[in-house]
Amino acid sequence: MNHLSSETFRENARAALADVHLRGALKNATSLFGERRREAAASLPNWEELRSRARAIKDEALLHLDRYLEEFVRNAESRGARVHWARDAAEANTIICRLATERDARIIVKSKSMTTEETHLNDALEAAGMQVVETDLGEYIIQLAHETPSHIIAPAIHKTRGQIAELFTAELGMPPTDDVAQLTSTARATLRDRFAAADVGISGVNFGIAETGTIVIVENEGNIRLTTSLPRVHIAVMGIEKVVPSFADLDVFLKLLPRSGTGQRLTTYQSFITGTKRRATDEGPEELHIVLLDNGRSRMLAHPVTRQSLACIRCGACLNACPVYQQVGGHAYGSVYPGPIGAVITPQLMGIEKTSQLPYASSLCGACREVCPVKIDIPRLLLHLRGEITAQRKGSAAERLAFKLWARVMMSPLLYRTSSIAGRLLQHIIPISRAWTSGRDLRPIESQSFHDRWKTLQ
Amino acid sequence: MNNAAREAILGSIRSNLSRSVPDETNPVHLENPVILSKKVSSATLVDLFKSNLESVNGHCIIADSEPGVARALTTIISNLQTTNLRAQRIALSDTPSMERIMYMTDLDIEELTITPSATEIFSFDVGISSAQAAIAETGTLVLDSTYERHRLVSLVPPVHIAIVDASRIVETLGEALALLRKDNEISPAVTFITGPSRTADIELTLAIGVHGPQELYVIINGSR
Repeated sequence: MNHLSSETFRENARAALADVHLRGALKNATSLFGERRREAAASLPNWEELRSRARAIKDEALLHLDRYLEEFVRNAESRGARVHWARDAAEANTIICRLATERDARIIVKSKSMTTEETHLNDALEAAGMQVVETDLGEYIIQLAHETPSHIIAPAIHKTRGQIAELFTAELGMPPTDDVAQLTSTARATLRDRFAAADVGISGVNFGIAETGTIVIVENEGNIRLTTSLPRVHIAVMGIEKVVPSFADLDVFLKLLPRSGTGQRLTTYQSFITGTKRRATDEGPEELHIVLLDNGRSRMLAHPVTRQSLACIRCGACLNACPVYQQVGGHAYGSVYPGPIGAVITPQLMGIEKTSQLPYASSLCGACREVCPVKIDIPRLLLHLRGEITAQRKGSAAERLAFKLWARVMMSPLLYRTSSIAGRLLQHIIPISRAWTSGRDLRPIESQSFHDRWKTLQ
Repeated sequence: MNNAAREAILGSIRSNLSRSVPDETNPVHLENPVILSKKVSSATLVDLFKSNLESVNGHCIIADSEPGVARALTTIISNLQTTNLRAQRIALSDTPSMERIMYMTDLDIEELTITPSATEIFSFDVGISSAQAAIAETGTLVLDSTYERHRLVSLVPPVHIAIVDASRIVETLGEALALLRKDNEISPAVTFITGPSRTADIELTLAIGVHGPQELYVIINGSR
């Protein structure tokens, strides 16, 4: 059920549909998250206005991304941070491994970061001989199980407490229990040792503020605060699209992100980190390194439709709302980013060669667009990507031929009339594509066309 | 090498942006900020803060003076001493008022240390700090590192007790963000805290106190 490929989405999905445990867990999680999001959004009278404003801020930042990034870097560096630029995942990992090696780091604590999942940073650090410990409870569980996250904000959503208990008993020597409080305190106790011993802390970034050089990170558990407060060195990995112009913009994003993600008014903790400590006696790390990652993002700026994908604030609301994700879960997508947003980001980050099934993993119902806090038109993006796949002849040959014929027929009145007569006569003899009819009914063609009826009615 | 990466990324951003045209369906309009705040009285702000903090599993005690705060501290800590949270080893942040208030309490404890180091802090049962501001609409504490060393005291011990002046409570998130930027500078570390540490990573079942404190007490000084 793990490390699946995007190339086999259909097979992955079929296997997921047969997994009763998984479907039960998904149903609980997505309906609960969805309900909480609805209530939280309804509790703000100006929700729609906030969404529009958030999108406008993101559009402004993206349309002048070079300028805002330079401003962000200037302000972060003038307050003691060191900024590193990484064109791709390999370059980011090389930079981070070098920083850690130069400081003789042996133990690294990490807080949840989808961006480092994207770069497979843990593999690189482990190959360099370091022990990497994920500290978000969900991430810690899947690291122990050697799995990957199946939801952007709830990584271990696919696992039952029984499975987690077995894992903790086997890996941590915990006495058997399926009490969630007991499981949580076991993880707390184990991870405390790691926090105390860690040389380097690695985090993600939710927002980078251009006018101050501040990085903002939101969470509920406190592991991000520990990761960014205790070790001597803090390395923050940030996609270049995370920059927003001003500190005041946070008023909008800190209202939308937690409400969309978990239905909270605010998550328990927000850390606003601006450079390094100013006085030697201050608390916190000696060094702050910010790694700015492109990895295909700048390419998405070229087209107004694809550019929208960079407005995403990774709340996970579209996953919970999606009837496909609700049924198959995150692993079936075979990509770091699952769900509707994953189906549009993954082909753009990794190329459509190996991901061409993902833009079809949607019924285009539009539920994702309805809930998106930054109003990303995901169905339009999916159609755009489908268009690219077809243009590059990556889709099904039979489908291409069928639509070519259809277009030809629709453009000629004679062919259209002939084919509808033929269809009426032959519809019960020639079987229509099973891929279409196995999941739905095909209505029979009416005995008389509208065109003919119109003539008689007149 | 890094300079080359910087130039390559900025170059790619510029060339890709120059190929694009603004999206017609989403015109950029940044004027008209969202107005959210309406002025309410201080007493209302205290009540609003209290009920919002309690809705996220925090405790809130309203005291009328420094001796009142000391009495509240005495009650909280001596009650905790009867539980498995022990509350024998107390870590304080370094504001002068904190020591003064501790002096007024009537407590029997094993250890009292001001801002223990990152290695020592793990052995403490309770951390006590003040907060530079609070947000009523969310029940949030605002901790600003320029004024106090409370980053670890508020984070590592299983219990965090925060003392905040009633006059420091603002109504909205937007007002709190504006306060942080009022001298056009910003502190190296600002932390917002809304309730005790929590997780729902196992079957979405709420568990309180995963990495941060499992108990959060806020004592408001002066209800006016």
